[in-house]
Amino acid sequence: MNGRKEATLFVPCIIDGMYPEVGEAMVEVLRRLGVELCYPAGQTCCGQPAFKAGYRKEAVVAARHFIRTFESAGTVVCPSGSCVAMVRHRYPELFRDDPGWLEKARAVGGRVFELTEYLVDVLGIEDVGARYRGKVTYHDSCDLLRGLGVREQPRKLIGRVRDVEFVEMKDSERCCGFGGVFSFKYGDISTAILKDKVRNILDSGADTVVGCDMGCLMNIQGILSRTRHPVRAMHIAQLLAGSSDALPSPARRVPHPPCR
Amino acid sequence: MTRIRTELFRQEAGKALNNRHLQEALSDFQERISKATATAFSSLSDAEGLRLEARRARMRAIENLDVLLDRLADKILNRGGRVFFARDAREAVEYCLETARRLGVKKVVKGKSMVAEEIGLNEALQEADIQVCETDVGEFIVQLAGEPPSHIIAPAVHKTKVEVGRLFSEKLGIPYTDDPVALTRAARNALRQRFLEADMGISGCNLACAETGHITTVSNEGNIRMASTLPRVHIAIMGMERIAARLEDHDVLLRLLCMGAAGQRLAGYVSYLGGPRQPDQEDGPDEFHLVVLDNGRSRILADEDFREILCCIRCAACLNVCPVYGKIGGHAYGHVYCGPVGSVLTPLLVGVNRAKDLCLGETLCGACRDACPLHIDIPGMLLRLRSKLADGDDGWGVKRERPAEKLFFTLWAGLVRSPGLYALALTAAAFLQRLPPGAKDTITRLPYPFHEWTQSRDIKRLDGRAFRKRWKELR
Amino acid sequence: MQNVRRALGFPPGRREVPAGLFRDRPDREVLRAIHDAKTRSRDSRLELLELLRERAGPLKIGVTAVEDAGAAALAVARLVRETCPEWGVEKRVAVWRHPLPARLDLTRILADSDVPVFTAGLCAPGLEGMPAEESLEHIRKNVVESCIGVTAADYCVADTATLVMKTRPGQPRMLSLVPSVHIAVITLDQILADLRELYAFLRWEAREREDEGLTNCLTMVTGPSKTADIELSMVHGAHGPRELHIVVIIGPAASTAN
Repeated sequence: MNGRKEATLFVPCIIDGMYPEVGEAMVEVLRRLGVELCYPAGQTCCGQPAFKAGYRKEAVVAARHFIRTFESAGTVVCPSGSCVAMVRHRYPELFRDDPGWLEKARAVGGRVFELTEYLVDVLGIEDVGARYRGKVTYHDSCDLLRGLGVREQPRKLIGRVRDVEFVEMKDSERCCGFGGVFSFKYGDISTAILKDKVRNILDSGADTVVGCDMGCLMNIQGILSRTRHPVRAMHIAQLLAGSSDALPSPARRVPHPPCR
Repeated sequence: MTRIRTELFRQEAGKALNNRHLQEALSDFQERISKATATAFSSLSDAEGLRLEARRARMRAIENLDVLLDRLADKILNRGGRVFFARDAREAVEYCLETARRLGVKKVVKGKSMVAEEIGLNEALQEADIQVCETDVGEFIVQLAGEPPSHIIAPAVHKTKVEVGRLFSEKLGIPYTDDPVALTRAARNALRQRFLEADMGISGCNLACAETGHITTVSNEGNIRMASTLPRVHIAIMGMERIAARLEDHDVLLRLLCMGAAGQRLAGYVSYLGGPRQPDQEDGPDEFHLVVLDNGRSRILADEDFREILCCIRCAACLNVCPVYGKIGGHAYGHVYCGPVGSVLTPLLVGVNRAKDLCLGETLCGACRDACPLHIDIPGMLLRLRSKLADGDDGWGVKRERPAEKLFFTLWAGLVRSPGLYALALTAAAFLQRLPPGAKDTITRLPYPFHEWTQSRDIKRLDGRAFRKRWKELR
Repeated sequence: MQNVRRALGFPPGRREVPAGLFRDRPDREVLRAIHDAKTRSRDSRLELLELLRERAGPLKIGVTAVEDAGAAALAVARLVRETCPEWGVEKRVAVWRHPLPARLDLTRILADSDVPVFTAGLCAPGLEGMPAEESLEHIRKNVVESCIGVTAADYCVADTATLVMKTRPGQPRMLSLVPSVHIAVITLDQILADLRELYAFLRWEAREREDEGLTNCLTMVTGPSKTADIELSMVHGAHGPRELHIVVIIGPAASTAN
């Protein structure tokens, strides 16, 4: 892909508040690829927590705010499959009886991309020049896989990271038991599901489990930490940000374009 | 009426999670059956095309249900059968009892029927001093054990062969064995006499055909054929939505049913039944009755948000892939329809408040929608049910649940639309989390109502420097 | 029913059938499929037989191809010899009153081995003059005591290895259900390719349009009775037959007899 590459960042609330380093890693990766970034400071949450718990009126408030914030943006990139699925597929449902907002929602939804989708499908890049020493396995998060149909993109990206040994775990497509509010309200069922996921991760022999949604990773990391397993849960942005000498990174400091 | 225990979801789920036998049985079952069906689907040359065709046929049927049921009834009446439209469970049960009384029925053999479970037919017959014998091997097992079925297709999936062996040796008086062949043989021998002695056979209906005026029954064992052939009266009970317009619709629908249920190209026996024995024929029941059950279905039909669930062909493919069902099994759902399809259907049939845990206790992972041969949007409907619980719904008579949560999200909505306040709240929360002496980066115990998370998991503390702050330096 | 109409937003009272909901005539594609199936060459019929064998194997269905009715009779006799009675002590065979099994003349073939053959039809030899109720009881008793049931079939679907049988006078459904072993004798031209073809025939083939329809009971049989209800272990012989054999008469002179 030639010419100026620009993207607007949407950093979801879990990453913003709990895992800001993942946001930084995404910035690192995109800048290395020469993408000019802007970050609308007014952004908050896409509304997913309220929507999935059933609070549609409240989710509409968040959705309207999101749409207003990103209405004038070009391509929006977000390191979370479930937030992108929310904007792309759930906003139209929220506004199904409100033609004005429905149109706006569809327009924004068409421009929002999950990180790996953006890299592979939009930019056409599989090798981001990363290096990581380790045995990596990948967990398919549900909304990314089934909501957005993203399965191969992350695997292609991981496959191109230098020094990585990639192994598939058993049932990588099976839910980890997070499910947002579900994991807080039905902790024991959630844990039982999660334990299967962790067993599959451990059985794969990997030392690092990579995913594209911090919700799932927070869940997996939570039990790994409690049971003191040394396996590391890592967002794909962090894996891809690990620098490599093989690729010069001329665009380390891309000038920051004006952002509203 | 069958007992509805949806309120006990949490307790029952908890018990299931601690039942080691059940955990083994379920994980083995899901693993094998879901792989078998996935392989079967991948062997089809145009699986997606078939699914679309099936979905179109089902929606067309649902949207013309009045015409289809009229046609079905006319054709069956013409052949000398009888059709009864039951508004609710009580009417359906009453009709069956009345028929049994009129004919002096003492012994009933039953083919597996979820609708019969729904209306509590077995209990009612037994109260009327009529012996009822379940004849599907799985149903026979759970009946002997005094339990309800725990899966739509495989009712005894929660039992290991060791448990079945013990049960048979206790109840059938055979020497203990855990060999499925010997156990099946024991059931075969025990049931043969029952088939020959029964005065009445009761079955469900997998999918009727309006155009030709037949119901279909699908099984691998042949028990439904026995029950609909040997006794002098056959009563079939169907949920009113289980019908297709044309015979050609059955081609794709039955194939998908068999594939979704067991990875088969076609089940062992498919019967089209459309009336009693004709005067010049040698066998078949002298009376053929069809009970068409509404019991809340027309209310679902009237709501376009949920109408789609009536497309379900009960293949149970969604149960076989659901991570929640895979852990808690069927009994925890507290009603005859369990798993993902049950968590939509049950609340709509028995009351959303009453079955709120079914709506909330799913991860919304979407595996059910992918596995469903008709791509029914179960997660989408669960979300709609959740919104009824959150805000109440007069149409469905749903009362608002959890006012504290509503308050929380109202405040949250106030924050998300005011970025300044939102940032401030984030900073304040991060600060407060760091106040307790000795606070570390990892929290091992969260307060109510978040405490369930930390029963098994740690969670990271909010970062004092949120991304929104860090961006200022990154630029 | 009023509830259904109300739910769909229709006024009370019967609604006119919407155009196209049911089919009054087959579309051209269906007619072509029926025509092609009926005019299939002998070679492609033999290919369908091969497909049937391939599909039948994993389903534990025995498929035996024979040249003519005489060879079919011997094949049936061999299967009868190999069968042990499951419930009674006497080995007995029940047969449909149908031209095709009749051509096998099983009574004569099995006379040597002392196996009685019972023709399960009202007005069959031996039942003349018996009151209907008594005949029915007699037939039922004899079929229940038979360990082998011999039938014909209307169609056989190669792709799914499915026998399709309509219940008609002289063709009771018990025979393919109650005895321990079910043997169906068919001719090569009764084999159809797949279910789509079957449903086209069932709905639109000339005989069906003459208003016999599916009759009051049409049975599709794919393999012997089976269950996997105990830990998903497949066991054959749950309630119905534990064995199913299809004897196909492939000789050039063979044709549908019904």
